[in-house]
Amino acid sequence: MSLLKDAEGPGGGDAARPGDPHYNFAYLDEQTKRMIRRCLLKAIAVPGYQVPFGGREMPLAYGWGTGGMQVTAAVIGPEDVFKVIDQGADDTTNAVSIRRFFQRVTGVETTEKTGDATIIQTRHRIPETPLKADQIIVYQVPQPEPLRKLEPREGETRKLHAYSEYGLMQVRLYEDISQFGHIATTYSYPVMVNGRYITSPTPIPKFDNPKMDRMPALQLFGAGRERRIYAIPPYTSVKSLDFDDHPFEVQRWDKPCGLCGATDSYLDEVITDDKGGKMFVCSDTHYCEMRRAAGHAGPAYETAKAIDLVHDDEGADR
Amino acid sequence: MTYQAPQEDLYAVPGGEASPLLIARNVTKYYGAMPGCLDVGFDIWPGEILGIVGESGSGKSTLLGCLSGRFVPTSGEILFDRADGGGLTDIVNLPEPARRRLMRTAWGLVHQNPRDGLRMGISAGGNIGERLMAAGERSYGRVRGAAEDWMDRVEINRSRIDDRPSVFSGGMQQRLQIARVMVSEPRLVFMDEPTGGLDVSVQARLLDLLRVLVRDTGVAAVVVTHDLAVARHLTDRLMVMKGGRVVEAGLTDQVLDDPQHPYTQILTSAVLMA
Amino acid sequence: MADDTSGEIVRVEQLSKTFVLHNQGSAELTAFAEISFSVHAGEAVVLHGPSGSGKSSLLRILYGNYLPSAGRVLIKHRGAFVDIGACDPRVTLDVRRNTINFVSQFLRVIPRVATRDIVMDPLLRRGAAVPEARARAEAMLERLNLPARLWDLPPATFSGGEQQRVNIARSFVHISPVMLLDEPTAALDEANRAVVVELVSEARRNGAAIIGIFHDDEVRKTVATRLFDMAGRNPLAA
Repeated sequence: MSLLKDAEGPGGGDAARPGDPHYNFAYLDEQTKRMIRRCLLKAIAVPGYQVPFGGREMPLAYGWGTGGMQVTAAVIGPEDVFKVIDQGADDTTNAVSIRRFFQRVTGVETTEKTGDATIIQTRHRIPETPLKADQIIVYQVPQPEPLRKLEPREGETRKLHAYSEYGLMQVRLYEDISQFGHIATTYSYPVMVNGRYITSPTPIPKFDNPKMDRMPALQLFGAGRERRIYAIPPYTSVKSLDFDDHPFEVQRWDKPCGLCGATDSYLDEVITDDKGGKMFVCSDTHYCEMRRAAGHAGPAYETAKAIDLVHDDEGADR
Repeated sequence: MTYQAPQEDLYAVPGGEASPLLIARNVTKYYGAMPGCLDVGFDIWPGEILGIVGESGSGKSTLLGCLSGRFVPTSGEILFDRADGGGLTDIVNLPEPARRRLMRTAWGLVHQNPRDGLRMGISAGGNIGERLMAAGERSYGRVRGAAEDWMDRVEINRSRIDDRPSVFSGGMQQRLQIARVMVSEPRLVFMDEPTGGLDVSVQARLLDLLRVLVRDTGVAAVVVTHDLAVARHLTDRLMVMKGGRVVEAGLTDQVLDDPQHPYTQILTSAVLMA
Repeated sequence: MADDTSGEIVRVEQLSKTFVLHNQGSAELTAFAEISFSVHAGEAVVLHGPSGSGKSSLLRILYGNYLPSAGRVLIKHRGAFVDIGACDPRVTLDVRRNTINFVSQFLRVIPRVATRDIVMDPLLRRGAAVPEARARAEAMLERLNLPARLWDLPPATFSGGEQQRVNIARSFVHISPVMLLDEPTAALDEANRAVVVELVSEARRNGAAIIGIFHDDEVRKTVATRLFDMAGRNPLAA
């Protein structure tokens, strides 16, 4: 894992290099990876600023994480340990296919354990386990422009960022409060990065917003269709916008996770039968498993086992 | 003959009247080889309403565009007193961020079509509050209060504060646009045919409202119109433009009642008694 | 620089007015030529002459509504003479606000403003307190026989005579140093005409300079301290 490793990186034609020999390491050619790394360096230098880049076609449709994949491809090295999550889960189609893709074109080790990973590509969540200084989190970004819904003209949004004209974003929050009595935005909740650029945190739940603030890990963002890259360097201030009299708040649940009993994690609603039965479980599957392995159990754990929702017995080393 | 500066002016507006708010000198704008406006010069003083009349193509909209910083004049000077103690500022060469800041604080622009001046997907209250929030207001309660206050002042029922302007009538939209601009207490407002496209009765109400606002806030305004009745009711001074040039200028009622220039005579005789 | 002759407030010097109709073969219509006179505080000068002799045009020039073709009009304003046809429009407006008032028989109706507020306005603009302005406005309306039930209504729906009286109330509630009157009594009944004559005389006695047009002989005789004869000049050649 390195942003500046042109010289040491495994080039084409090296017989000893890992991964499928039909492809260049990490799929993209070296020129393209260099180009993306230059964009990443610029993005890190100007936290929250959207850097245009010459996005390439990936063997995946737009909307499936092509932006994040290109960023990952540009920074991944043979020694990296790679984790992919989709809405917190390691085992959904998107996560599985991206993980297998990089396994094939790089041959790197993959993991579901947050703590073991050096690069985590994510769609719409930040893991519950706090990230560390030697990790990179790569966000898949559907819409990099936080002002887009309010101002459709690209030229104008660029000016709004350039001149820090952010009244419009506050208007969006105002609209929420006037309509719902509180700020009803629950995901893609806009943040101010380093006191300068308003940035889209991607459609993560606002529950995750505080994790972005002064995070020790490097945060990289890639938007494939919009061909934009932005970044938040380690330990950078990330503030969720709000009003003095309507401060930012994260979601709270009045019940713990049904499976592991966690009270500090982001919960998804899961339908358990066709009679309206439901429970709330950790969205971060690895976190939930880790807790269960450590002996924690939620109120619905036994029921869930009975209906085959969890397979903890099969896991050898959980 | 002498005219001694007033010792105390009963009509003085806050900020004093020691100097003009805006000075335009030899403002010329060419579109390629085609002249838009030629060699236009005038002063606007605090609290003063200047009308610009003329037919389509007379250059009045070009001039308004130059004055309000949307067009860059080919030559000439436009100076504005930013009231920051720095004296007159050259608007033409002002960096864009500063000009935009001016545009949303000390200046206001009222478009002929309210759709151009409003955010149609945002509630009335949000539209009014935007300038305050842009200026850093971070109290929802204060934004809300100011929006309600301005709904009252432009005579839109407070109960409509959370409605989108798309469900408002044309007259209400125009009043909302005015509230959206006036909320930041601008010192100079540019109005482009503010009553264009409205029914006559709605026009009268809007004119009345504008007069009251102008009187109560002491704002200065440049009003472009082809409607001489609007000019008569709203403006103190008038400039008549033809072919890009100012052919006649003076006190509004004097220009309309005793026009000197052949073109102004045509203009004033071509309409019913204003 | 005009000398500050004591009490002189309006000076008309060699004033001519010719209308040039550019779109009718540049036809020239002379309203009057080379008129000179001066008016002092406390005088009431009634312009005399047949219809078309330029009386209204002269009043309008004094008000800055028409421009002189030749000559000039000096108005004493804030202690100095102002050339009303040649000064900056801002100065003209200031003269109108503080020195000259023009009273015609027509009320320029301001929609949706109550009668009482219309009459109070000139006082409030001069810094009067609301209760005082209100009392004076109501006294003036009463004097002009406007029934109290009309005071809260906008005058838009009033009869012509009622509107005219609202206008006179508004014009006389505050007396300017120079009052220009263009037939303010036309179409009024005898009782109200008498009130207006009284108001004019009061204004004059309080030091205003009155310059007016009155067609009614009796009113003219009562009001005028002096006639200025426009006749014998060049009547409007039509």
